[in-house]
Amino acid sequence: MKRIGLMAACVWTGAALLAASAPARAEKVLNVGMAAADLGSLDPHRTATTPDKAIIGWMFNGLVRFKPGTMNPESIEPDLAESWDATEDQLNWTFHLRKGVQCNNGYGELTSDDVVFSLKRASDPKVSSFSSDFADVASIEASDPYTVQIKLKQRPPSLLGILTNYQGGNIVCKKAVEKLGDDFRAKAVGTGPFAFSEYTPNQSVVLVANKNYFRGAPKIDKIVYRYIPSDATRDLAYTSGEIDLIYGRQDQTWAERMKSDPHTIVDVFGPGELSNINLNITKKPLDDIRVRKAIAYAVNRAELVKFKGELTARAAVSIIPHDYLGTDEQAPLYPYDPEKAKALLAEAGFANGLTIESIQTSLPPMLNTMQIVQAELKKVGINLQLNVVDHPTFHAQIRKDLSAVVMYSAARLPVADIYLTQFFHSRSIVGTPTAVTNFSHCDMADKEIDAARLATDPAKQKELWKKAQEILIEQVCAVPLYEQLQVWARRDTLDYGYKLYASLTLGPIINEQSTLK
Amino acid sequence: MLTYVVKRLLVAVPTLLAVLTVVFFFVRIAPGDPAFIILGDQASPQALAALRHELGLDQPMIAQYADFMTMVLSGDLGSSLVTHQSVWGEVAKVLPYTIELTIAALAIGTVLGLPLGVVAARRRNETIDYVARFLSLLGLSFPAFVSAILLLLAFAIELRWFPVISEARANDPMSRLSALVLPALNLGLIMVAYVMRVARSSMLGVLGEDYIRTARSKGVPARMVIWRHALRNALIPVVTVVGLYLGVLIGNSVLTEIVFNRPGLGKLIVNSLNQRDYTTLEGLMVIYAFFIVIANLLTDLAYGLVDPRVKRQ
Repeated sequence: MKRIGLMAACVWTGAALLAASAPARAEKVLNVGMAAADLGSLDPHRTATTPDKAIIGWMFNGLVRFKPGTMNPESIEPDLAESWDATEDQLNWTFHLRKGVQCNNGYGELTSDDVVFSLKRASDPKVSSFSSDFADVASIEASDPYTVQIKLKQRPPSLLGILTNYQGGNIVCKKAVEKLGDDFRAKAVGTGPFAFSEYTPNQSVVLVANKNYFRGAPKIDKIVYRYIPSDATRDLAYTSGEIDLIYGRQDQTWAERMKSDPHTIVDVFGPGELSNINLNITKKPLDDIRVRKAIAYAVNRAELVKFKGELTARAAVSIIPHDYLGTDEQAPLYPYDPEKAKALLAEAGFANGLTIESIQTSLPPMLNTMQIVQAELKKVGINLQLNVVDHPTFHAQIRKDLSAVVMYSAARLPVADIYLTQFFHSRSIVGTPTAVTNFSHCDMADKEIDAARLATDPAKQKELWKKAQEILIEQVCAVPLYEQLQVWARRDTLDYGYKLYASLTLGPIINEQSTLK
Repeated sequence: MLTYVVKRLLVAVPTLLAVLTVVFFFVRIAPGDPAFIILGDQASPQALAALRHELGLDQPMIAQYADFMTMVLSGDLGSSLVTHQSVWGEVAKVLPYTIELTIAALAIGTVLGLPLGVVAARRRNETIDYVARFLSLLGLSFPAFVSAILLLLAFAIELRWFPVISEARANDPMSRLSALVLPALNLGLIMVAYVMRVARSSMLGVLGEDYIRTARSKGVPARMVIWRHALRNALIPVVTVVGLYLGVLIGNSVLTEIVFNRPGLGKLIVNSLNQRDYTTLEGLMVIYAFFIVIANLLTDLAYGLVDPRVKRQ
């Protein structure tokens, strides 16, 4: 007995020594290549560009979150808030916060003070780009260190939607904002799986793993987010192995070329940015519905999708993007029928054709789509003139209502109300004090949009949204074209830890589940 | 000579102020709203108005100009509309990279181009002349970004002598040097083409002169004729080209900077343009104009070195 005991002790000691002398696990560093020249802002309440949105998704949490890999509002789950309840009229909400969540970079525990501060900051137009999302919020208060009360003036399209880890819903740490001031833009502090470590202007941002992350320590130790604006250089850096995750081109050829490499996985995921051609119904000759219908009949969606590439684009299903809460997936879009288009034009008195002027951006993916549309319209006798200007100029001029035809490409929070309100409600008409992006000047579905917002029965709400889409499509406020999906590629050594169907940050979410071999 | 330099620099000041004024107005007349670009397309009109007010963009043009000129004349170039960092600070960060790239490219261009041009002139219409002229045509026709990508393919992917993304760390001279090689080669080789052509034609002109014939008939060794007598006279047009190109290089290196992912003045200018970052653009234009003035001054002084007749004036 004693001898066995002694032997066991020796074996055990030997094993322990072996384990102790084994080399420490090599540091797992994920190198990411992004198409940008430099950091814009890591402040989640400010940032509007794709390159910044992607990295913010790795640094912050919201009160609630979309299940990683989805953007379906029906899959919203707890994040910083463990649970919540609301009054019958849905105007008073109480959120119960998780205890023990730590702010990164040593800023202490997250309490309701931080949440209140963060949400108030996100609703302040002087500081936040997304203040209008919080227009319906009357007050935000902390009733105790782990409870937040939100009172609403009226029901917003989706309160939980605004409180997700997206845009204004991202929670920032109060002490960090106060201490860093202007520097917060480059050194933002949140509670997410990765924390800011270092920033080299024009080169990279380095994030390190938050070992105290409340869902568990990330398995990736460091992320180096490299700014490589030249497409060719980025591709070469991927080929040489210097980056493992690359922001792709929304381009069929690129996707096919990357796919052909056996060790590369191409991720194509939502949101699809929907391209609509908005028609200003107050400008001649577009004020005649027959002319607008003719344009709708003349556009060949299938041809456009083929041109863009079926790997990265899909045909539009409605005037709002596919898969949003409330999208009518079988909306009655006008089919491709050039003969009908010509007949309608003749009826309207334009048998000999007509000319329409428009302002168009020089951004290549949008420009080449409009050049194809121009050719399709020419076949039925419509001469669409494209005055091409650079992108910032385009955005400035269309908001001054200077173009009768506006091709706009966008994705929004996946609830029908938001897209419908921003693009097709009379409140949002460009050139007015409450302007957003209603370039068509349409107001025919105002009643349905407003009623849907107040509806308490989800089925009734969906019906009202369906009706709104039907009306707007029939009146041809816009001609929907296609949706461009997000395209990234990664080496097969990177596993996200979940299936990526969609991500509102326009990039994959790297979290505590992601692994790098 | 010191008075000459000082006089030239003083004369440059009104030029710079004029440049500043022109840039100020042109840049603000161009359509495009910086507030919109900074905040993105989902910002509310109130947020946009608040930012425009904060940046002083809602003031009348003349008031903005007056504010701006007062600031500049007190030595402050202001801060970026986008990053709120001081403009001079941002420029100072990238300036060393631009200067070292320009000097390196210039060095490669002259050190390789000059002898090549001289040899091509000496052995006119022989093989080496044709080869040199063909290569120079190639160098002139290649767009900088195409040659940059080819260099990357050859040296970074195939030979693996350099990484694709060279991180030039400010405190590490070795990394700075290794990050400089390919971009300098890219710009330098294009410059070789120019310098070689000018040197060749200038040399050919000089070689036909009387004093060359005299030197040869006097029995001066061929080597001395070329390098001592002919070259100094042939250098004048070369100095002009190099001087002009110096100004061009600082701004035109932007394509090389983008492909090689190098910080630089050119890239800063293009980015500020796209973002409608008015203050950074104005500051950059002034600094750029200042460099052109310096480049012209250096060129004129170089004439003095090459041509004794100029020095005497």
